[in-house]
Amino acid sequence: MNNFKLPPDVQKIIDVQSPKYLRRDFEKIVKEKFEALKTQMIQEFMAHPITQELLDGPTATNISGTLGGRGNLFSFIGFNSSDKPIDDILELLNDTSITFGGDIPSGNKYFVSLPNSKDIFDITPLPWATGRSWAKSIETGLSGLGYYLFKQSAASRSGEAIQTSVKLVDGLKFKNTTYISAFINKYKDKFSKLQ
Amino acid sequence: MIEQFIHTATTSFFLWFDHYLLKKGQAFSNKTSKFYHYADDRLDDRFETFGSPYKQWVTDSSISGAIIPTGVLVNGSPQGRNNGIIFDFDNGRILSSGIANTDSVSGTFAVKDFNIYFTNETEEDLLIDRKYIANPRVYSPDENYINPYDAVIPAIFLASATMTNDPFSFGGEDTTKILMKAVVLAENTYQLDGILSVFADSKQEVFATIPFSGHPITEYGDIKNGTYSYDSLSSHYKTVNPVFFVNDVDTSKLSDKASKSITNDLYVGFIDFEIHQQRYPRA
Repeated sequence: MNNFKLPPDVQKIIDVQSPKYLRRDFEKIVKEKFEALKTQMIQEFMAHPITQELLDGPTATNISGTLGGRGNLFSFIGFNSSDKPIDDILELLNDTSITFGGDIPSGNKYFVSLPNSKDIFDITPLPWATGRSWAKSIETGLSGLGYYLFKQSAASRSGEAIQTSVKLVDGLKFKNTTYISAFINKYKDKFSKLQ
Repeated sequence: MIEQFIHTATTSFFLWFDHYLLKKGQAFSNKTSKFYHYADDRLDDRFETFGSPYKQWVTDSSISGAIIPTGVLVNGSPQGRNNGIIFDFDNGRILSSGIANTDSVSGTFAVKDFNIYFTNETEEDLLIDRKYIANPRVYSPDENYINPYDAVIPAIFLASATMTNDPFSFGGEDTTKILMKAVVLAENTYQLDGILSVFADSKQEVFATIPFSGHPITEYGDIKNGTYSYDSLSSHYKTVNPVFFVNDVDTSKLSDKASKSITNDLYVGFIDFEIHQQRYPRA
């Protein structure tokens, strides 16, 4: 059986003309895959033990294991009880979008704007040192200073009934764990391979 | 255990950090003072100890304008290392086997605006429920020697936090990334802002890899061979070793609210360095 090859000038015309005709279908299919992957990304983020523990606030248990099962991350980082540290990250992830532009032979280009790790670190300041990121510190080493400063502050109000939902635990030490960087790298790779 | 990469990295970083602050910030002042005799039970009976009211002294002769002591006046007569005097730059004192404890001793030296220490303590251990002594800012009739071995403020505590290797090129070359952290304890906002500004500008600087054998200080705190220039040391090692690259620097201050919770009346800041070097860790 002979393999049929198109003449080069015909192939060239197909390469140039086909994206215009295929674009609408291409964009529809890619957009569906993008939305599905974006939903998967956000679900995975929300299910992460670090995220879950922070969402549970000052009365959470240390499900992430980063404090040896004692205390909880929300209090250890030193957040106020009204803080919602996950909201800003979630908003940034929800802003992940796809745009299309440019034709390539027999296809179209797409661009996914996914926040990078630095974008997330920039919006997650430590409450007691805003030039540092708590999200980055979870990966590189989280100081217990915020937690112990809270203890000092609570203890200094002697004579008053201290209403706090935070159970103060002595001797807490933090264990570094992967969080944002590995997660973003994983989805950067996945979004680059949408087919 | 033989010297490992992280040991070399911390040595190199410490020497560079000290030099960079002194040079860029001109963070020192020259002082002349009397030295006060005291007993130090960590030293053997050979030595009489005479302490100045200040520490740490500058050791680096490449810092323009800084007076690096090579002698002191004993009863008005100059004496130096040839007379058996050892200069303990870290503790701001001299050790001597030839000076009587009743002799009058004085000298001139450059004092660092910020003492630099390497620490294994956590940030909370450094800041919570800890008292520090401070270098005196003005002469006092009650002037005396400053205690040896204790950390004195203003101070910067350095620590290595993490080290990771990421692939860089074929053949097993990795980028080794080291996170170094600095906790700054200053006496006022001007000092703190100054330090943070100096090191924020150190992004993309390079510094030499200096092994233990190149460290300029003896076990008594004196300068090996009597003279030390970071610029010369650095130039030499840059010709034989790869350099370190300051890839990123983040600076921050302890918030006002948090500052109220610490017992010391200090202005606290943090500097986080990400240092890179390309190397073959498995070679």
